[in-house]
Amino acid sequence: MADQKGTKRSSVESDAQDSKRIKTDDKYNPYLAHLNMDGANDDFKSPLDEMERHNTTALQAAKAEDSDTNPWTGKPHSENYFKILKTRRDLPVSKQRAEFLELYHKTQILVFVGETGSGKTTQIPQYVLYDELPHQTGKLIACTQPRRVAAMSVAQRVANELDVELGQEVGYSIRFENRTGPKTLLKYMTDGQLLRESMHDPNMSRYSCIILDEAHERTLATDILMALLKEIAHRRKDLKIIVMSATLDAQKFQSYFSLRKEDPPAPLLAVPGRTHPVEIFYTPEPERDYVEAAVRTVLQIHAVEPEGDILLFLTGEEEIEDACRRIGLEVDDMVRESDAGPLAIYPLYGTLPPHQQQKIFDKAPEPFRKGGRPGRKCIVATNIAETSLTIDGIVYVVDPGFSKQKIYNPRSRVESLLVSPISKASAQQRAGRAGRTRPGKCFRLYTEKAFKKELIEQTYPEILRSNLSNTILELKKLGVEDLVHFDFMDPPAPETMMRALEELNYLACLDDDGGLTKLGSLASEFPLDPALAVMLISSPEFYCSNEILSITSLLSVPQIWIRPNNNRKRADEMKAQFAHPDGDHLTLLNAYHAYKGAEQNGEDVKKWCHEHFLSYRHLSSADNVRAQLKRIMETHEIELVSTPFNNKEYYTNIRRALLAGFFMQVAMRESSNSKIYKTVKDDQMVMIHPSTVVSSPYDWVVYNEFVLTTKQYIRTVTNVRPEWLLEIAPVYYDVDTFEKGEIKSALTRLTEKVKRRQAMKGGH
Amino acid sequence: MGLAGAKNKRRLGNDPNNNRWSRNTESFGQKMLRSQGWEPGQYLGAKDAGHAENYGAASASHIQVVLKDDTLGLGAKRNNGDECTGLFDFQHLLGRLNGKSEEALESELKKREDMKLNSYLERRLGTIRFVRGGWLVGDVLKEEPQEAADKPEVNGAPESSRESTEESAETEPSEPPSKKRKAEQDTDKDEEKARKKEKKSRKRITESDAETDSADSKERKKNKKSKKRKVDSVESDAEPTKSKKSSKREKKKEYSVEEVDTSAEDAKKTKKDKKKDKKDKREKKEKKEKKKKDKSASDSDVETGDSSSKEKKRRKEESATPAAESGVSTPTGSGYSTPVTTTSRYLARSRFIAQKKMAFTDSTALNQIFMIKS
Repeated sequence: MADQKGTKRSSVESDAQDSKRIKTDDKYNPYLAHLNMDGANDDFKSPLDEMERHNTTALQAAKAEDSDTNPWTGKPHSENYFKILKTRRDLPVSKQRAEFLELYHKTQILVFVGETGSGKTTQIPQYVLYDELPHQTGKLIACTQPRRVAAMSVAQRVANELDVELGQEVGYSIRFENRTGPKTLLKYMTDGQLLRESMHDPNMSRYSCIILDEAHERTLATDILMALLKEIAHRRKDLKIIVMSATLDAQKFQSYFSLRKEDPPAPLLAVPGRTHPVEIFYTPEPERDYVEAAVRTVLQIHAVEPEGDILLFLTGEEEIEDACRRIGLEVDDMVRESDAGPLAIYPLYGTLPPHQQQKIFDKAPEPFRKGGRPGRKCIVATNIAETSLTIDGIVYVVDPGFSKQKIYNPRSRVESLLVSPISKASAQQRAGRAGRTRPGKCFRLYTEKAFKKELIEQTYPEILRSNLSNTILELKKLGVEDLVHFDFMDPPAPETMMRALEELNYLACLDDDGGLTKLGSLASEFPLDPALAVMLISSPEFYCSNEILSITSLLSVPQIWIRPNNNRKRADEMKAQFAHPDGDHLTLLNAYHAYKGAEQNGEDVKKWCHEHFLSYRHLSSADNVRAQLKRIMETHEIELVSTPFNNKEYYTNIRRALLAGFFMQVAMRESSNSKIYKTVKDDQMVMIHPSTVVSSPYDWVVYNEFVLTTKQYIRTVTNVRPEWLLEIAPVYYDVDTFEKGEIKSALTRLTEKVKRRQAMKGGH
Repeated sequence: MGLAGAKNKRRLGNDPNNNRWSRNTESFGQKMLRSQGWEPGQYLGAKDAGHAENYGAASASHIQVVLKDDTLGLGAKRNNGDECTGLFDFQHLLGRLNGKSEEALESELKKREDMKLNSYLERRLGTIRFVRGGWLVGDVLKEEPQEAADKPEVNGAPESSRESTEESAETEPSEPPSKKRKAEQDTDKDEEKARKKEKKSRKRITESDAETDSADSKERKKNKKSKKRKVDSVESDAEPTKSKKSSKREKKKEYSVEEVDTSAEDAKKTKKDKKKDKKDKREKKEKKEKKKKDKSASDSDVETGDSSSKEKKRRKEESATPAAESGVSTPTGSGYSTPVTTTSRYLARSRFIAQKKMAFTDSTALNQIFMIKS
């Protein structure tokens, strides 16, 4: 095999797109004869040609992998390739390749369980690749990831492993970025992206195999995809589906994926779990202060436990930064007064800039002197370190048993982001992080009793925790008529579904019979929440679609304002420079315009952002989102217009346009000078979030989000005039539908006033 | 918390749960669902789905949230531990006024005193303790993995582990250094033998444990009698009649490591010996105090806390010594695992409280105050 000179180009490269030509052998093509001139040996067939689709063996695949020529590109393998190949063969999944293929050939749907780090995310798609031989059928293999970052980095990794260029044979596709080409055979993508694709291709006919990775995370899109795929599997017997999970609830997946009720559960293949056991410790008594206890536990570990890194789970950015500071101070003392080793402390949370996130992979610090106590690193993380990230070297895990979870309440339409106890599954997952390199220890800052009694079994899947209006719109677009009997793995609460339908109806995305309207269909083209999409679509009516487009993009990225703890005052001053007295939406717009201005002036934008306490990362991604949305608008011929800036209606128009999408998110002040507002129709008591810049709030405001943190807050708020409400959303603000109360009487007064005015005008 | 507690005022609207909306049968959403065959009280989802048994409560109604704005640990009750100064000492008296039996009062007193002592210890030595919860092998929790059995467990101190392997060679080669566990696992073996070994191992670990397990250092100072007591309690544990639950709990070894505090006292390893002396002195004092107080078994011990009442009773009969010590380093005091640090700012206050408490512990003085003839 080693002396095989695979000069023959594999048919992949030239013919990937044209499935008819795929079988033609280049040997008989006179124009390509020069490629076959190398007659030194007869064994110039690509190893892939010997393989029969859906009948390959692990041995054949290994042979193809070992060959000097890359069977996918026809180019010789690089040296690095063999180096990686060796490490790949050491991965736990590698041992079960034959077993996997056997099961894969036998069934349509396969449930695969393997720990994070077993190599399943990178290897299984490649095993499938060598079995599906997509260059023969022209159908791709898709592998979904819940996170964009994962999709990108895994695709890069797999491209390296296959010794191909990213974006060619292996590519990725995420919400606002597509790096695939005509040659692409294996495509990593976010689950949301596949869902969007399926709206235009309900049979997923481009794919021969779909792999749902990290299914245990149960993101909204994965849940919907699973239900869709289950349906498609009935129609398309040639479509293979692999559901990959890292946790225990594989049974749930198995029973869900038995296509008919009488069928046996879907077959399961499990890669034996972690290589090392983890010893669990509980506290004998509950903790008074879990942060304090966590800090102490870390110090204690550092002082007395043998070498090994520490992973501490906390709930949020503020808590994490605080804990890092405290641990740092204590360790400094410890080092000064004893011969403790150095401890490097790294925070890790979602909004941390990537270069700082990367730091967690740094090596633990060296001992202070030769032969001194070993250094270690301590990572203080949110639950992103629970499943998605693999950090080697972690031996100790400290788990206070809390995390922050977003939960939507369909009754009050509030989204809460509160600290709540984790689930048992999640606790086990956290503990498992300690056993990656060697036997580890997990210190749980709660009692065993609390573990058994107070924790729920599984974390709630996202579908049970979210506002479903976007999902319902997507389902409608996918042609799902019977929402009640749609086969959810975990059906959402009926009230959540009702609320979503109701919102879509008010937004005129659904007609009164529940059918998708033209507006609804158009709105579903945008990867946005329906309210945002509707606002964007109707913005030309208000002569400000350019501005609304910018605002929409800014609202779809994380907060652009940076407010570091040690420099709050300065940050607020800077924000005040952009402030518009009438609203946070307008302030966002000002900041964006200033950013674009700086960019055009040729300034160093990064520096400019830093000086103005703005997040360059989020601003530039908003810019990117804007470009994407603009493209969608152009394809659907939505005009891009602006009111001239010196027109006094400039800002008024924008404020009115906001209401076109957000008329259901309006609050009225309880009484003048009161700080408390009441949301329209739901009558929830809310306060304006302290981050607002609105200096003199009106009696009526439109808001972007209603969140429950320590209080019920509305965030990103803009003043509006109540007359606009009646004008822009007459159906929603039909006074007769309101319950008796202040809001109703205010609206009644207003209607009469408007009527009077019209009558006067008519009289003239 | 009583009147002195922090006030947490929140204004609620007339209908915070928006029941009006959820009861409204005319809403578009409800009409739509009904038209597709849904009835109130039903789940959504496929008709007789095979996986319907997996549906949880969250599929029926939205998830309820609890607003948590403190850093109270999981399972901790807000009120636990920070008892009002002095009230503690009235319990005995109030109990008598309430007509409790003398016996019950006595045992309660013991419990409280143990708690007091423990919380004192806790404040002084400040350690976080952990109890073993088994091993997570793959996805399954196990009591003991085979291959991990010979791994060092106590603080990872090499010495202690060596000791233990030597020792356990006599009986079960795969034994971890956990003395306690061993004693239990030997249940069916000769009780006498077990007792002897237990004693021996106790001694040895106290001498060898370089990590100065606070508990162990305490132990070393204990006289022989107390050691015997411990053995008694262990023996009682070893009784086959004990409930399964309690045995499982007791199997878990206390895990105690020295808290490294900012105070130089704890942090400096080189000063260990000096420190020990100091500690010993302190402990001597305590012991004196304790001797006075501890007379009968108490169930304040965390480990035996929830063992069957039958066992408790039995133990009471058998040993007139407190089982509290079998918990070794488990002061149960404040009801929390992490001790409160006594910073200098609290010192004056705590001294004051101590004085007040001293007055209260003087029963004659109290009786005078309450005009009770004893």
